[in-house]
Amino acid sequence: MTAHTGVHETRSTNQSPREDTLTKITLTGSIGLAGIGLIALAGPIAAQEFPERPIEFVAGYGPGGGHDTMLRTMARLIEEQDLVDVPINVVNKEGGSSAVAMGYLNARAGDPHYLMSITSSHIATPLTSNIGLDYSDFTPIARLGIDPELLVVNASSDFESLEQLMQAEDTLNVGGTATGSIEHIVTMQLAEATDLDLNFIPFQGDGEVVTALLSNQIDLAIANPGPVADYLDSDQFRALAISTEERIDNLPDVPTFTEQGVDITISLFRGLTAAPDISDEARAALTEMVTTLFETEQWQDEYIEPNAVVPLVITGEEFADYLGKTEEVYRETLGELDMLSQ
Amino acid sequence: MEALSNLMIGFGEVLTPFNIAIIFAAGLIGTVVGALPGLGPSAGIALMLPLTFGMSEASGLCLLTGVYMGTMYGGRITAILINAPGDAPAIITALEGYPMMQKGRGAMALGISAVASFVGGLFGLAVLIFLAPVIASYAIYLGAPEYFLLMAVGLATVMLLAGDSMLKAFFVTCLGVLVSTFGSDYVSGQIRFAYVPELIEGIDFVAIIIGLYGLGEVLYNLEKKVKLELGKPRFSIREFVPGRSELGEAAAPTMRGSVLGTLIGIVPGAGATVATFLDYALEKRISKRPENFGKGEISGLAGPEATNNAAVPGSLIPLITLGIPGSGGTAIMLGALIMFGMRPGPLLMTTSGDIVWAMIAGLVLANFFLLLSNILLIPVFINLLRTIQNNLANVVIALCVVGAFSLSYSPFNIWIMLIFGVLGYLFKKNDYPTGPFILAVVLAPLAENYFRQAVMLGQGSAAIFVERPISLTILILMVLIVAGSVFGRLRARKLREMRNPEE
Repeated sequence: MTAHTGVHETRSTNQSPREDTLTKITLTGSIGLAGIGLIALAGPIAAQEFPERPIEFVAGYGPGGGHDTMLRTMARLIEEQDLVDVPINVVNKEGGSSAVAMGYLNARAGDPHYLMSITSSHIATPLTSNIGLDYSDFTPIARLGIDPELLVVNASSDFESLEQLMQAEDTLNVGGTATGSIEHIVTMQLAEATDLDLNFIPFQGDGEVVTALLSNQIDLAIANPGPVADYLDSDQFRALAISTEERIDNLPDVPTFTEQGVDITISLFRGLTAAPDISDEARAALTEMVTTLFETEQWQDEYIEPNAVVPLVITGEEFADYLGKTEEVYRETLGELDMLSQ
Repeated sequence: MEALSNLMIGFGEVLTPFNIAIIFAAGLIGTVVGALPGLGPSAGIALMLPLTFGMSEASGLCLLTGVYMGTMYGGRITAILINAPGDAPAIITALEGYPMMQKGRGAMALGISAVASFVGGLFGLAVLIFLAPVIASYAIYLGAPEYFLLMAVGLATVMLLAGDSMLKAFFVTCLGVLVSTFGSDYVSGQIRFAYVPELIEGIDFVAIIIGLYGLGEVLYNLEKKVKLELGKPRFSIREFVPGRSELGEAAAPTMRGSVLGTLIGIVPGAGATVATFLDYALEKRISKRPENFGKGEISGLAGPEATNNAAVPGSLIPLITLGIPGSGGTAIMLGALIMFGMRPGPLLMTTSGDIVWAMIAGLVLANFFLLLSNILLIPVFINLLRTIQNNLANVVIALCVVGAFSLSYSPFNIWIMLIFGVLGYLFKKNDYPTGPFILAVVLAPLAENYFRQAVMLGQGSAAIFVERPISLTILILMVLIVAGSVFGRLRARKLREMRNPEE
């Protein structure tokens, strides 16, 4: 396949969701109204259609990682608060920078009983490999917030600050999840912004990254606050920088990259998407289920706070537009880094 | 002994009538689930998970760990009775257990493997109770180079499973490596041979095992009109409870298997599989009758079976000390811990120590229940098989189809199972060994990824394999083993020449 065809293909898939958007907005609007009417008139019948069997939450990364703990917390809280009357199972479809999970979800087109956690890899993987699927093939449900990236080192390391780290002359090993992940992008941006010689090593899940840093197999890791929080609390790891624009409340002592003179402000988004071609009623029901959850106090206490997620919820078409914009940013960054597949 | 007093507190929590009943039921459910081809610990724990809502943390975790332990006992049953192992570690069990079954000693094979499972499980638990923090603090120093070498050692056991023709074994190993390359690769993010979307996930090796062994065996037996040797419907205790001579023969291999299983069970991904294959290789190597292996040798059955069960507590060590799961089963356990509101990680034992100790106490109890029920149920299993004997082929095919479907709840894996069923039949008919094939399918992708990770960690240099002490030790051991066997062979040849100078 030539490069030309590749670009052309992606462009045409990019345009189609925009065209769809108009029709979908009107459709969702009217069906949404009709839906309310339906629920009021014949609630039990509508309830029988979806969900009719257990819902499956699909994590594209291994157990113990960000996707997995998020979905498991969601599943537990949704069951505790009776937001849905069927059980929820969490399955891990790890590998291929979320390509495996995308393939899995794509194979379930039209079935609303699957909800997949997505992060930036949902955008990046289709750009860096040839999986033939991208975000617009799926049904975006909601973004629940953004998740900053931390630069962490082992507490026994000589690096006390980012400034000190930037003086390093040897090639440094950097751990993160998967090639083309946001950790990878942060690493590349860091190497570009400084004179550092960084060697990125892809691991399968945050658990492996944490182990590698614990035993000094890598010099530093780029990771979300969640998986490293306990190690920061117990002074086994030290965080040298955070990728948000301003310091966050949970980690007030961790300086941002920008205040240390390195221009990196790229954060992971955390969101949910459903299988392709599900009915608008089902999409509305899924959105309703998760947004109700996001408003509860338990969700704030048990997920948002401990994981240092900045809770900026958007849903439906607004989320789809956000994904489109994110893709443009990624296409540019990955292109600069010469990582685009075609 | 702080660990012991903690364990006693754990027992105090567990020893209520409700919890004892739960552990007992969990063990039985686990045994049945594990016995069905395709349903392993992951499926068992996942199925039970919804039942634990509303239970106390301790009861819920006892239910899940009981099922986990039970599936490890159950996995041997179909492997021995109908040569249909449900998971990779049970393949070795089938290798020695099924020949015993064919000789009419199936009940004894079940008895011996139940005892070996019990000892292995208990040994692993003892290590978990007393040494978990120590082992975990060393285990983190294992990284990609060590894992790669372990996978390489595991792959080397292909030689021992080869059977008569080295060339045939080499051929099926290469075929296995090829099959394992299907699907996406997380190191590069690239996808290989994904002709249909389902293949993006790669081929599920459990579907391959079900086809190769379960369906392949049925097809072969139909052609040969094999009749199972089931003995009389009424059993004397001596036929299924191992006596002094059997136990004597099984004792040393069981102990060796227990140690190996606990240690290698810690390795993430394929710890239990590598451990059982390595233990089988070890037993064959030091056996006085290596020619009997593959024909129903007790030491080849007991050792790996102990290994298999010792790997369960082994894989729990990184989970409860670091919050890092080492296998599919412990991955779901991790989810359960999170759902019970605990935070798995380095501080778990400090923040929720009482619950973790209750769970460990529950595992000890489950292990005793499982030994008892698995021995007492042997006549039931055999007589169940007798009832369905005339329709055995149909029943096994049905189980294979259901098992394959349940892997991802899609018909795709049924097709995979059918394809590999036919392949298994052709392998068996033409005397191609299946062990090397499946070992390559399971280990080759892990070896590949760990190798690339290791070289990346070494920043492009393979020197990392000799710079790290543990990795160097494994390398030296590998060289010594190869040198030892070459030297041994040369010496044997020389001895023969000295005895028969005219040849």
